[in-house]
Amino acid sequence: MNAKHATTRREFLRAAGAGACALCAARALAEDAAGDRVTDGARPQAAVHDAMWFERLPDKAVRCTLCPRECVVAEVERGYCGVRENQGGDYKTLVYGNLCSINLDPIEKKPLYHYLPTTTALSVATAGCNMECKFCQNWRISQYRPEQVESLLIPPENLVRIARTRRSPTMAFTYSEPVVFYEYAHDAAAIGRKQGVGSVIISNGYIREPALRELCKHLTGVKVDLKAFTEKFYVEQCAAHLKPVLDALEVLADIGIHTEIVVLLIPTLNDSAAETEKMAKWLVSHMGPDVPVHFSRFHPTYRVKNLPPTPIATLDRARKVAMDAGLRYVYVGNVPFHEGSNTYCPKCGKVVIKRVGYKTDVSQLRDGACASCGTKIPGVWTQEQALAFKPKEKAPPKPAAQS
Amino acid sequence: MTGCGGNMTRRTFLARAAAASAVAAGAASGLQLASCGESPPPAPAPAPAPNRSRVVVIRHDALATEGRGPTPERVRELLDEAARALTGDAKAADAWARWFKPQDRLAVKVNCLGLPTKPAVTLALAEAVGAIGLPPERVTVWDRLSRELRVAGYTLRGTGDDVRCFGTDALERRGNGGYSADVYTSGATGSLISRIVTDDSTALASAAILKDHNLAGITGVMKNFFGAIHNPNKYHDNGCDPFIADACAQKPIRDRLRLALCDATWPQYNGGPATRRQWQWPYGGLILATDPVAADRVGCEILQRKRGAVGMKPFADEKRPVRHLASAEARGLGTANLERIEVVSIGRPWLDVG
Repeated sequence: MNAKHATTRREFLRAAGAGACALCAARALAEDAAGDRVTDGARPQAAVHDAMWFERLPDKAVRCTLCPRECVVAEVERGYCGVRENQGGDYKTLVYGNLCSINLDPIEKKPLYHYLPTTTALSVATAGCNMECKFCQNWRISQYRPEQVESLLIPPENLVRIARTRRSPTMAFTYSEPVVFYEYAHDAAAIGRKQGVGSVIISNGYIREPALRELCKHLTGVKVDLKAFTEKFYVEQCAAHLKPVLDALEVLADIGIHTEIVVLLIPTLNDSAAETEKMAKWLVSHMGPDVPVHFSRFHPTYRVKNLPPTPIATLDRARKVAMDAGLRYVYVGNVPFHEGSNTYCPKCGKVVIKRVGYKTDVSQLRDGACASCGTKIPGVWTQEQALAFKPKEKAPPKPAAQS
Repeated sequence: MTGCGGNMTRRTFLARAAAASAVAAGAASGLQLASCGESPPPAPAPAPAPNRSRVVVIRHDALATEGRGPTPERVRELLDEAARALTGDAKAADAWARWFKPQDRLAVKVNCLGLPTKPAVTLALAEAVGAIGLPPERVTVWDRLSRELRVAGYTLRGTGDDVRCFGTDALERRGNGGYSADVYTSGATGSLISRIVTDDSTALASAAILKDHNLAGITGVMKNFFGAIHNPNKYHDNGCDPFIADACAQKPIRDRLRLALCDATWPQYNGGPATRRQWQWPYGGLILATDPVAADRVGCEILQRKRGAVGMKPFADEKRPVRHLASAEARGLGTANLERIEVVSIGRPWLDVG
């Protein structure tokens, strides 16, 4: 059974990755958008675009205000992400439409389980990331610079056209890290929304509040990778910090956008029951018990090759701990045919959405409710519902008390 | 003779005349390296200098000329003199022979980001090693991007009987954009390394430029190798420390690095790494060493002295202390303590920065 799981996982990774096959698929998809220009990957200047979030500093330096790193970038240098560059005192993104991956994926692959099940998401990525996770499954794009990957130039309006042509209700900004190709995701999502195509980001959540709130004006869903629940893990394994991610999750909860959480459990590093319980309780108290949480199986890769794949028992334990802590929709990910892939009605316990691999049966979900007992299941179940989403405005600060 | 002869599978990817335009067009056609896969031969016998951390600073008015700068021939003469002073040999060829062998494949890493290493300095080094029978076609002058080399004034060349010159991005793409298939780990860093180093060199020289850096304090011999890894953007936190040291301690770099040359003809003491003419001055020097840490310590002192002379604060007072030198010493890469460095000054005194 485990061997079967491992094989399937590899196949899954190959499909989800951004290697040569993905690029072939990308070209096929790009053909849908007449007039798309194909770049050779060595000329990122073709996709240079003004960056949206930065401050000018003396001596032509800039401070990037997109993510919590707030890189101070001297002229000719790039930020930590490797895709944003100071050109003469102006900050530029080098990956505006410079896509290294484009695929038509089941939405379940993101994974988003409570968002338009059985539909597809036109999924795209550029090079770059604002973290350096030593276990990154997509490091061959996320840890590369734009000139180091082969890319296609697909402007935002063309991406929307591809989604419509392919009858995909959703565009997914994914695989690497959409925060670093923010401007492209932002503009494509805005155009898509006007043309009936929703947008989701699959993100590490490492983004500052103003940028996140602006982006969410155009998004219809979010998935956040919560890497762990300790600062130690974030620092040592991701070269980042935990608190900004938790802050972003609170912002998402405040905005009210549909959000799902994925936690990749890595043996010995973040898989203790105590850590899972602490994380689950935090999620219940800050995001509510209905936020879907996926515990995913780790496979050795990149700089973490000395640890085994996550035992299924560990995933099962994490799921139980999280549900005992009050979370209602907890899933086991990256393990096909696992019963933890299904959505169960929290009231009657019946299977509402059955998933086998990427085959999804929603026959027991009626108008967003359990067909057996009528209990409402939280999620985005229709495209109309997705496109109707409007983020809640940030509550104005309370006025200072008058003396 | 090693199995890495120039008549192996190294393919022509650019006709000489079309080299610049082809590389500028994106290098998609690629350059196939010899891919000999051999380990670098053991370094020649160490120089008999009593102190490995001897650093030669040679200064001459000819190095401080403006415009096109010094000729490679003049630089070569001065470089030979510096080499003799570094080893104590009477003949320059004997000095060069301590570091390189005729069968070596020498990769000369230059820095073309912002203020670049002058081509005349780099070409002088390539000529100098020719004196020991290392043919020019076995010398590769390189950086990350061919485009940056061209902008810096280098003539791109992928084949022929002259010194080769191209960026890592010009290499044939094998899924890694010119970088090694394996991730090399060293301390806090984990990187792919240019295949110009891993597949096509048995010896390395750092032909760096002495200039200010807004985070690390200085860019010199060691930081030059940020251009050898695929992800330098990940390693600028904390003033690039310990990342510069860790990158230089990567095995393919550490095992091959034989010589540290720093272009101090017109150093820049503030505003780097971008070019800022108002903060450059005609120091007219070259720094030569086998100890990259000592070379950078000397370079750092020169910049600090100049900053003090014009009323600027030391790097540390600008919240960018030069931390990576101590980290490099802790990794056994060389000597960071100036008191243990023997500076041989030829021409004007090395700390006379007026």
